[in-house]
Formats: sequence, structure tokens, C-alpha cells
Amino acid sequence: MEHTYQYAWVIPLLPLPVIMSMGFGLFLIPTATKNLRRIWAFPSILLLSIAMVFSLHLSIQQINGSSIYQYLWSWTINNDFSLEFGYLVDPLTSIMLILITTVGILVLIYSDDYMSHDEGYLRFFVYISFFNTSMLGLVTSSNLIQIYFFWELVGMCSYLLIGFWFTRPIAASACQKAFVTNRVGDFGLLLGILGFFWITGSLEFRDLFKIANNWIPNNGINSLLTTLCAFLLFLGAVAKSAQFPLHVWLPDAMEGPTPISALIHAATMVAAGIFLLARLLPLFISLPWIMSFISLIGTITLFLGATLALAQRDIKRSLAYSTMSQLGYMMLALGIGSYQAALFHLITHAYSKALLFLGSGSVIHSMEPLVGYSPDKSQNMVLMGGLRKYVPITRTTFLCGTLSLCGIPPLACFWSKDEILSNSWLYSPFFGIIASFTAGLTAFYMFRIYLLTFDGYLRVHFQNYSSTKEGSLYSISLWGKSISKGVNRDFVLSTMKSGVSFFSQNIPKIPANTRNKIGSFSTPFGAKNTFVYPHETGNTMLFPLLILLLFTLFIGSIGIHFDNGVKDNRILELTILSKWLTPSINLFQENSNSSINSYEFLTNAISSVSLAIFGLFIAYIFYGSAYSFFQNLNFQNSLVKKNPKKSFLDEVKKKIYSWSYNRGYIDFFYTRVFILGIRKLAELTHFFDKGVIDGITNGVGLAGFCIGEEIKYVGGGRISSYLFFFLCYVSLFLFFIP
Amino acid sequence: MSYFPWLTILVVLPIFAGSLIFFLPHKGNKIVRWYTIAICLLEFLLMTYAFCYHFQLEDPLIQLKEDSKWIDVFDFHWRLGIDPLSLGSILLTGFITTLATLAAWPVTRNSQLFYFLMLAMYSGQIGLFSSRDLLLFFIMWELELIPVYLLLSMWGGKRRLYSATKFILYTAGGSIFFLIGVLGMGLYGSNEPGLDLERLINQSYPTTWEILLYFGFLIAYAVKLPIIPLHTWLPYTHGEAHYSTCMLLAGILLKMGAYGLIRVNMELLPHAHYLFSPWLVIIGAVQIIYAASTSLGQRNFKKRIAYSSVSHMGFIIIGIGSITNIGLNGAILQILSHGFIGATLFFLAGTACDRMRLVYLEELGGISIPMPKIFTMFSSFSMASLALPGMSGFVAELVVFFGLITSPKFMLMPKMLITFVMAIGMILTPIYLLSMLRQMFYGYKLFHVPNKNFVDSGPRELFLLICIFLPVIGIGIYPDLVLSLSVDRVEVLLSNYYTK
Repeated sequence: MEHTYQYAWVIPLLPLPVIMSMGFGLFLIPTATKNLRRIWAFPSILLLSIAMVFSLHLSIQQINGSSIYQYLWSWTINNDFSLEFGYLVDPLTSIMLILITTVGILVLIYSDDYMSHDEGYLRFFVYISFFNTSMLGLVTSSNLIQIYFFWELVGMCSYLLIGFWFTRPIAASACQKAFVTNRVGDFGLLLGILGFFWITGSLEFRDLFKIANNWIPNNGINSLLTTLCAFLLFLGAVAKSAQFPLHVWLPDAMEGPTPISALIHAATMVAAGIFLLARLLPLFISLPWIMSFISLIGTITLFLGATLALAQRDIKRSLAYSTMSQLGYMMLALGIGSYQAALFHLITHAYSKALLFLGSGSVIHSMEPLVGYSPDKSQNMVLMGGLRKYVPITRTTFLCGTLSLCGIPPLACFWSKDEILSNSWLYSPFFGIIASFTAGLTAFYMFRIYLLTFDGYLRVHFQNYSSTKEGSLYSISLWGKSISKGVNRDFVLSTMKSGVSFFSQNIPKIPANTRNKIGSFSTPFGAKNTFVYPHETGNTMLFPLLILLLFTLFIGSIGIHFDNGVKDNRILELTILSKWLTPSINLFQENSNSSINSYEFLTNAISSVSLAIFGLFIAYIFYGSAYSFFQNLNFQNSLVKKNPKKSFLDEVKKKIYSWSYNRGYIDFFYTRVFILGIRKLAELTHFFDKGVIDGITNGVGLAGFCIGEEIKYVGGGRISSYLFFFLCYVSLFLFFIP
Repeated sequence: MSYFPWLTILVVLPIFAGSLIFFLPHKGNKIVRWYTIAICLLEFLLMTYAFCYHFQLEDPLIQLKEDSKWIDVFDFHWRLGIDPLSLGSILLTGFITTLATLAAWPVTRNSQLFYFLMLAMYSGQIGLFSSRDLLLFFIMWELELIPVYLLLSMWGGKRRLYSATKFILYTAGGSIFFLIGVLGMGLYGSNEPGLDLERLINQSYPTTWEILLYFGFLIAYAVKLPIIPLHTWLPYTHGEAHYSTCMLLAGILLKMGAYGLIRVNMELLPHAHYLFSPWLVIIGAVQIIYAASTSLGQRNFKKRIAYSSVSHMGFIIIGIGSITNIGLNGAILQILSHGFIGATLFFLAGTACDRMRLVYLEELGGISIPMPKIFTMFSSFSMASLALPGMSGFVAELVVFFGLITSPKFMLMPKMLITFVMAIGMILTPIYLLSMLRQMFYGYKLFHVPNKNFVDSGPRELFLLICIFLPVIGIGIYPDLVLSLSVDRVEVLLSNYYTK
């Protein structure tokens, strides 16, 4: 038993040899390496599976023995300062290890098919395996510096993978944005680490907890400093987990390939912030201010994410905002001290969201031959619809994921979300109201995504036949987009091609004009592929989907508190976990324990489920049955056209949609303030540098030059000029003497 | 111990062998190239051999001493000797110079003189790092200038004369103060002039005098390092010089300033350093921010990298100014780490620029498709430069941070403030580096480039890049490689401060 722990360091290092050989192969002998291609995928999956078996073994031992194992090596030798590297195996680590390896393997299998036609297939595998390594390293870290080390490395992997298709300018700016935003968080994390090092003199977690717990209550003067440092640490988690002020990078990060979005930007890396807070919870728990701040940020994020997800057109972006919202739930749970609920939601959300992202990847994959490979089109939900006929398996899995995220009972997320909701009600009604309302919103927007994608009819073809694409586009656009670049581009197109004014296309039924426009719009694909329908994706991609579906169906059982037989092993683990780490912290432990068999649980469940069903229902009314919806909408449109006075409800709806579509205007604000501000600053310093500092130097040089010239002129050696000056001065002298 | 004059041989060999270049037959560049590479390698191997077998790492004192009279009148000795502090710098010099000669292969115009100058620089640098006499130190310092000036003014870009003049005037201006400092230190007190560094350590001065001396030296180093506001020669020089020269400049020449700051100012003038150190730290912090934000405003990407290296020098200054064991170790680590990273970034920028013949960022874009290898290495070294963990820059900066935090000299609030400002630099660095990467490599293919058929890096360039990449990773993963060199020496050096 001990010896397994001794070799636990091998887990993060396992995928490394393949990465190195692939990387060097790609760099030095690209052609030979690229010829091997899919052969390379096999060892990386294999090694990750070994890591998974290993971590399973570890966590079984954790369940049985529940001991914490730590091992350290010294990293730098210095007399009064030593950094150590080591690993720490405890229940939290083992849970994260299992999560990362399982999702990682499934995503690797999936991307073998998804990326198979891509130029950078091997590069993708190098990056993703490297990500796995660093993420595994992150969760096994035993001190803060090590966390920071891997924290940055996963950030870099995310940067590389978002910018994977580097020829796309959008991807290029998205990856830079992600890195810089994360760097703001790292800035806080580093300062927080340094601050805690200064306060406690140690970087080990366990020393830190001991010292912090003994120290903080006694010492009043330093509590401000401690709070500040904790706040800075939290800033790191905010950036990595896409919480409110620093969430802007996550939706843009969807420019990366879809498996990446599933693995990094839904399941694992964005959960690193939650992991960090969970790891440091014994420290944070003694700082009530920070705890309430965390829960506040979590609440803002979960609400904001849900509202922003309402009107996205891009399927991946909507999912990204939903991820943000769910991370907000976890943050809230941590903030109110219900550690177990947060981790539980982390696990269930990871599997459900990975399922959803992989499903959306499958949808995108099947849409690409129809509409083209631009993410503007292939991920656009406006062009989808009715896919349920063509991709039934994907549809089923996607539906399960959706329902799970909405919180429909037998599925995974229901259990965890319900726990968070009830805990937040107990903590403060304010948070409870927002969280429950957002649960309804979640159901609405998730079901909206599902309905727009799979329900109704395929709008790409529909527009080709009946040429009311603009109609549908526009009517969706009322729901999905406000006046934006999409419309503007159409506007430009329409004015160029057929001379239709912008306003005429608002009237949905001008067949001739719109047909012209659509013809021009989709010539390259429309002409060729008029009769192509989406196909179900290959088995390699469906297999991970199905496995994830199983996880989504059954993972919820690990956290169920009923003792009527459903007793997985990991329920023990979770309870052990909470017993070990948070005996005094978990304020709601008794409550949730008491609610195990009680009536309370049922009422909570019923209320949250009814909220979710209400959300589903509204979504169905709005988006559900396609024809009625469009008729209804056209009707509404015409009403809108005819009545200058819109009803109040419409006004509100429009406001909400434009708010949501424009991402809450937060990005605009940041662009205005930070980007332009930094540019101004750069210009200013550049000017200062060139004008003032260099100017002084040049001025000195110039002055020297001038003086030299002057002296040269004066001492030019012309006798006549000497005589002239001499006579001048003599005459002046004579003139002034009398 | 044998009394073989290892250091004299190391100092004299390159310049002597370099002067033989002119006697080689005029049969194209090939012979000259190979000859120079062979000399550089020989020197490097000799160095490694000497240090392996005749140098005790555990001993923090001066070793391999040599002392012979040169000019009797004012007691000027040819006095050499190294300690672990200079060992690292000498090895870095050997490494970078050898690779820079390899990088200079495309130079064909007047190649004999070019290679001679490079070898002369090699001598000067090793002489500087190993001299134990203040006047010898000064002479070597000046000897350095002439090759750089010539390299710059003969093989530079369009505005080479302007930048060469600027360089020489700046440095010569700094050298005046240096000379004044040397003379002031040598002539003080005793009847006969004494310039032995060993003896000068124990000498003490009145406070005013010490501060004046310190200031004089500081100006000379501030020009070389550079410290703001004396940095404006650097962007011009780096913008115009051939990239092999840039490698030498960024890799070694800038480090001479830091070395001098440690060797002379810290070691010989501890009181003044103790007084000046808060200012050094403040200047360092300002420099990090200032240079980073100036870098962001540059259109020319060579200048952008040049400012980035100015920004990184701020960490060295802070490390030196923190007067702690850790901080000083961090500064030394940063010297080495920036020597590798800065040199390579200039090399990469130079090679990319030679291929495209464009230097303005807004004209560039999408060159990652034709040149994936340069793209890979450029990204890797940018990451190294922005202190990504696992690479040497991260360890250096982290150690400097810890040094500042643990420094007993500063109060809590200033310490927090300075740390905060330094950390803001950590946000600015990726902004300028990544936006440079984005503008150069990402995006669509270029269509308006004068030179359409790009070639990716060949084996020579790849070899060079990998050679530098390995130590960067090595130090990043196991920093003890370098720290073990300097730890003991630094402790001895700082014992002066803690006893007072």
C-alpha cells in the first residue's frame, strides 16, 4: 500500500515521453513524424490510461485508508530559502486525478477522429498531452509554488490550443486575450503566494493551515494583510475559473478546436480555480470577509453567465457562458462553505459539460460539409435545426446532457445543484433567490440551445428551397442577435448584390430579393451541396459520447445521501473527504445529514425541479415547435413593423437580448478602458522616451556639434576675417571709450 | 595545483589567434569561418577543462590566481583570478560567443575583419570577467568598445553610423566616470597607488567620498546595463546591428554592467551600496514598468525586444539592491537566464527579419505557415522571456521576488508597493511579447512581401537554437545547476553587510 503512494509521482510524468518524442519528431523530422500520424495517438491514449488505472488504484486506497501522503524533494538549495517539489495525495487529489484522466482519455479518443483531417493533428496531440501532464501535476502539487508552476503551464497550453488554428485572426486575438487575462489572475496568485510566504514563512499547504489557524485569530494587526493576500490568491482563481470581472476570455476561448473546449474550457482547467480554493479552504475559512466575497462573486457570475447565455447564436459560446454560470455555482458553494457540494458539482458538471461540448463538436462536424468550415457558419445555431433526424445518437446524448445541466432528477447535475441550492437558501435568502432563479434560467437557455439545434427543420436547406432564410435569420436574430456585424455584413452584401435596402429585408417576404441574396451568400456550398444532409459522425466520436452519457447518468449516485441501497464507494470517499478536511468548516454538514431522509430534501428537490421544468417549458414555448414559432414571430414582426408603439414586454425582451448578445457590454467596456488605455500609455511612454530622454541626449549632442561648428568657423584660419573681427572690436572699443 | 597560467591563456588565445586570420589565404569565407569556430570551440573546451580540473567549486575564494608586474611606475599588475561569481559569466561568454560566431555565417562582406573583431571581443570579455585589478578591469572594459563600435558601424543596418556613434558616445561618457572612480579609489589614502581588488575590499573611505565613488561607478554601469534614463542607445544599437553582434550585446555586454555592479560597487563600497540600495530597487521597479510600456509602443520588432531586455534588467537591479542572499542569487540567475533568452530572441528576430526584409510589425503577419520552425522557437523563447515556469526566466524572477520579500532592509509598505509594481510588469510582459507574436506569425498569409520564397531555418540555425534552449529548460527545471555555483560566494559577499 505504501509503495503505491511512493510511485504516485509517476502519474503526471507518464504522458511525458510521448510528448517529448512527438515534439522533437515534429520539430526535427516533420515529414517522417507526420507520416506516422495516427500511430502516435495510440501511445498517448495508452499512457493516459495507465495513469488512470494508477489513480483509480490510489483513490481506492484513499477510500479504504484515507491517509494523506506527501513526499518532497528539494528543488533549490539555499541556506535560508529552500523550494521543494513534491506530491501530495489526498482525497481531493484523487478525485481530481480520476476526473482529469477519464475525461482526458475520452477527449483524446474523440479528437483522434475530430482532428483526423487537420494539418496539425500531431501538434494537437502534443499540446493536449502536455496539458494533461501539467494538469495532473497541478492537482498533485504539495505547495503553492508548485501550484503556480503548473498553473502557468496549463495557462500556456490553453493559449497554444486556443490559438491552434493560428491562421485565423480571431483565434490569434482570442488566445492572446486568454493568456493576458489569465496573467492578471496569476499576478494576484503570485502576490498572494508571496504574501503568505511573508506572513507564515512557509509554502507547504499543511504548514500553512496550521500556522494560519493558530495565528489569525490571535493577531489583529496582520489580519488586514492576511485578508489582502487571501484576496489576491482568490484573484488567481477568479481568472482561471472565469469568474465575473475576468470572465471575458472564456467565450473567446471557444475559437479553439471543440475537444479542447470540452477538456480544458469546461471540465478540467477552468475547474482549477475551484480546486485551488478547495485546497486552501481551511485557510480561507478563517477569513469570513473573503468567504462572503467569494460567494458574492460566485453569485454575480452565475447570474451573469446565465443571462449572457440567453441569446448567443454560436453553440459553443452559449455553452461557454453556461460553463461560466456553473462555475459560479461552485464558487458560491465554496463561499458559503459547503465544500462537498462544490466538489460534487465540479465532478458532475465536468462530465455533463464535456458531454455537451463533445456533442456540439459532433454537430459542428456534421454541419461543416453543408455550410462550410468557418466557425461563423458551422457553429451558428441559426443555420442548424432539425438535426434530430440526421444525428440521432448525438441528439440523444446531447439531450441527456442538457437535461442533466437543467437539473432534471435522475441525471447527474440535479443532485449536486440541488445540494448547492438548498445550502445557499440556508446561508442567505438573497443568494438562494438568485441561485434558484438562475436554475430556471439555466433550464431555459440550455433547452433553447437544444431546441434550436435539434428541433424543427434544417434551416440551411429550408432557406435554399423556400428562400425565406432571411426571414428565419431575422426572426431568430430577434432572439439571438441584435443589430450586429452579422446584420451589417448582410447589409453590405445586400446593397452590393441586389440593391436591397436594409429596411426592406425586415419584411420577411420579398422572395426575389432575398433569394438573390442567399444565392450570393452561399454560392460555394449551396450550389454544390444542395442535397447534402448532415450525417451522424463516426463511431470513434460516438464512443466517448456514449461513455460520457453513462457517466452523466450514474455519476450522480456518488453523492446521494439516501441509504436505500444506492451506495457507491465514492460516497464514502466524499464523506471521508469532508470529515478529513472540513470537520469544523462545513457549516451545512449537519443540515444535509439531517435532510438525508427527511421531508426537507424532497421539498427542495421539488422546488428546484419545478423551476427547471418551468424554464424548459418557457423555452419550449419560445423555440419549441418550429412552425408555430415562426408564424408567431412573423406575426410579431409584422406587428412590430406596423405598431411603432411596442409593447412593454417586447421592449424588455429586446433589452435583454441585446444585453445578452453584446455580452453585457463588458467586453466593450474593457476594450474602451483597458486596451485603449494601455495603448495610450504605450504611446505616451514611447513619446516620452523618444522625445524627452532621447531628446536630451540628442540635444546635448547637437549642442556639442553646434559649438564645434561655431569654433571651427571662428578658427577658420582666414586672415581677412581675423582682420575684420579685430577691426570691429577695435572700432567698438574706440567708440565706447569716450 | 599546477601553476599553469590558465587564465592568461584563456584571455590571450582568442585575440592572438584572431590576428592570425589576416594571414589566412584569401579563398573565400569558408576557411575563415571554420577557423573562427574552431578557435571559439577550442577556447570553450579549454575553459571547461580548466574549470573542471583546476577549480574547486566549494571554495568561495579567488582561485587560479596570476600576478605579474606590468607597469612598475604606478603598481599596475596583470592580475587575474576567478571565483564562482565570475565563473558563470565566463562560461556564458564562451557559450554565447561560440554560438554567435556560428550565427554570423551569413556575413560575407569583409569577413576576416568581422571574425577578428568577434574574437577580440571574446578576449576582452573573458579578460574583464577574470581581472582582479581595477585598472585592468577598466582597460578590458574599454577594449570591449572598439570591436562593438566597428561591428556596428560596418555591418549594421541603414542607420548604423548614427547608432554606432550614439553607442560609443554613451559608453565613452560613462567610462569617464569609471576612470575617475578607478583613480579616486586607487589614489586614496595610502602613499602608493593600489589597485588590487583584494586589498581594496578591506579599505574603508569617508562616507561622502564613498558615495561619490559609488556614483561614478554607477553611471558607467548604468550606461552598460542599461538603467533608465541612460538606456536610449540600446534600442538603436539593437535595431541596427547584425544579429550576431546583437547576441553578443544582449548576451554578454549588458551583463558586464551587472557584473561590475556586484564586483565593484557591492563588494568594494558596501556602505554606499547600503545607502543607495533603496534607490536601486525603486529605479529597478520603475524600469520594469517603463521599459515594458515603451516596448509596447514600438513598431519595430527588434526595438521591441530591445526594450524587453531593458525591462528584464530591472530584475537584476532589484536583486542587487535587495541586499539579500536570495535576491543576489536571483540577480545572478537572471544575468545568465537573460543572457540565453535575450541573445536568442535577437537571433530569431534577426533571422526572421533577414528573410522578410520587413521590420515593422503592422506590415507583418502570417509567416508561421512558411516558417513553422522559427515560429515554434520564437514562441518558446517568448514564453521563456515572459517567465513561464519550467524555463530559466521564471526561476530567476521568482527568486528575485523572494529576495525582495525577505529583505530585512525595507519596511513593509515600501516592500509591498515595489512587489506590486514588479508584478504589474509581469502583466505587461506577455502583452507586448504575445502581441508581437500575434502580429508577426498569426493570421493570414502575407501578399505584399518583397521576398516571397521564405526558407525555414536550416540545420545550422536549428542547432544553435536547440543549444541555447537546453540550458534554458535545464535551469528552469533544476535551478541548482547555477545556484550551487553562486550560493557560497554570495554568502561571503553579503557577510559584509550583515555584520554591520
